[in-house]
Amino acid sequence: MSLIAHKVHKTLGEPPTKVLTDINFEIKDGEFVALTGRSGSGKSTLLYLLSSLDTPTQGYIEIDKHNVSQMTKLEVCKFRNEQMGFVFQFHYLIAELSALENVLMPAKKAGLADKKKNYAQDLLKQFGLADKPHRLPRQLSGGEQQRVAIARALVMQPKYLFADEPTGSLDSHNSEVVMNIIREANQNLGTTVIMVTHDVGFAKQARRQIHLVDGKVVSS
Amino acid sequence: MTFLAVKYLLARRRQTVLMLLGIFFGTAAYVAISGFMLGFREYLVEQLINNNAHIHIQAREEFLTNHSLDHSFYKKAYDYIFWSTPPSGRKDSAIVENPQLWYERLRNDPRVVAYSPQLTTSVIFSKGKATVPATLIGCDPLQQTKVTTIGEYITQGKFSDLAVGGNRVILGDELMNRLGARVSENIFLSLANSAPIPFKVVGIYKTGNKLADASAYGAIGDVQRVSKSSNKVNEIAVKLVDHSQASAIASTWAKLGLEKVQSWDQVNANIFEIFKIQDAVRFLSIGAIMVVAAFGIYNVLNMTVMQKKKDVAILHSMGYSTKDIVSLFFTQGIILGFTGVILGLSFGYVFCLYLQTIPFGGGPTAVGTGYLMVSFNPAIYVQAAGLAFLAATIASVLPAYAAGKLTPIEIIRSGAE
Repeated sequence: MSLIAHKVHKTLGEPPTKVLTDINFEIKDGEFVALTGRSGSGKSTLLYLLSSLDTPTQGYIEIDKHNVSQMTKLEVCKFRNEQMGFVFQFHYLIAELSALENVLMPAKKAGLADKKKNYAQDLLKQFGLADKPHRLPRQLSGGEQQRVAIARALVMQPKYLFADEPTGSLDSHNSEVVMNIIREANQNLGTTVIMVTHDVGFAKQARRQIHLVDGKVVSS
Repeated sequence: MTFLAVKYLLARRRQTVLMLLGIFFGTAAYVAISGFMLGFREYLVEQLINNNAHIHIQAREEFLTNHSLDHSFYKKAYDYIFWSTPPSGRKDSAIVENPQLWYERLRNDPRVVAYSPQLTTSVIFSKGKATVPATLIGCDPLQQTKVTTIGEYITQGKFSDLAVGGNRVILGDELMNRLGARVSENIFLSLANSAPIPFKVVGIYKTGNKLADASAYGAIGDVQRVSKSSNKVNEIAVKLVDHSQASAIASTWAKLGLEKVQSWDQVNANIFEIFKIQDAVRFLSIGAIMVVAAFGIYNVLNMTVMQKKKDVAILHSMGYSTKDIVSLFFTQGIILGFTGVILGLSFGYVFCLYLQTIPFGGGPTAVGTGYLMVSFNPAIYVQAAGLAFLAATIASVLPAYAAGKLTPIEIIRSGAE
């Protein structure tokens, strides 16, 4: 079981601009991969293609032997809900929900909110938020908000964790905390992590780096 | 998505209350205005149905047309007759021709509860120096109380006292006042060129309708004597088992003879036309309130969709489908509609209960309950709820579908925060 990009091309805008060209690679289960490159190199676009949030212009993405472009919308949604977790540069927490409610949102979709409640509380405890499960996002610091977002990404114990510049809006201390959590998820839970970063230090913590230059993979 | 929809609504309390108020006022106004208008209408229709006969069989009334006399003059000699001065005018009759045939027909019809032959004539009532021209209705007193509710409006005496005969009369309250007469007194009735005949006042009736109260009732035999038209009747009043069939039955009977046959609703067709105009005004005014309320919901939900783009993106990334996103925003409209409807219906109901306590006695129906008449017909509440729901649904469908069309990647790329 793995995540494979087959001759993936992506063009955006009008007139069409090539963002990614002939991307081919395979990410095996349990890998920790950093997608690196300069701004505009296409690493975030590649992450969204790999995570099924976007569709390639040419080629296809294969996840666990399923061609994503041949799956129905409902199948993709179900797969995303059960097997994928997302962490973005901004926390994207729902402002009206408490930390615990935010964490449980993916479980609610799967109808497992009650079942996952204890696990969600454990995650918050692990991430140093044991005393703040009922706080609203605005009552948390930036680092705490991002940790809640990671807990939300991990609550379904997904097979894949996609992170787009997860430390991009954090200070160095909080960045370190967040990276530790992501690394532990990879090591302890066996979660396959695909992370976009242009921080060389954090990229080195990954076991593998895929480096992009002008939409092409130059080292994998 | 109800859980999150409720959270969204509670987080924007002021906007939520404003949206609710729109639906609330629309629903409450519909219930109150309709209750008031239809209450009065139901009372009026009830009066029309119960106080009067369901079907009136009256003396022939025929208007001449250009070719009414063709056959009489030329039989079939010509295909088409051109008149230098076409015939015009009326070919009326003052009496119902062959009433016995009608009596037999009515006696044998199972749809008929009772019928009462009448002879209505204009006479001059006088007492001392007071003279008042008015209508005298001659009837069979026992049958008349079966056909109409006149017996219930007797304030002095009994309607059946007329049956004894011997020149007795029951006066309407208005006529009694004009004459200055009292029960047990004698008054005089006369036709234009005949000597006055004494009649004894044996009762008074008051329906609340000044026009009806300016008439008088007598036994048909007495009235036939006064008007010198023995055994003649100019109307047969009929009561049916089912008043709703009156129109259809009247139309069928009209084809049986030359008499003019009209049902209670055909006689009062102009009142029903006014009801239609009232309905149009009612629906238009309430419709305007609902449209404003719907625009309120539409605007606020649209704004919410714009503000919650990042939530839409993250929900998509968590596996929530387009259907879930549409449902998230649509549910908000439905919750607002439902809550507004429940509050509006409750307030409207309580307000109608209050309206019922307001004294109202100056109008033509002064003998009614003495208070404002309000309808609590369930149909009003169903219509109010339906209209409000429709407004809320239409107002939330568009923003919900706009939210459903948002793709996560576009939101993330546009850097929505």
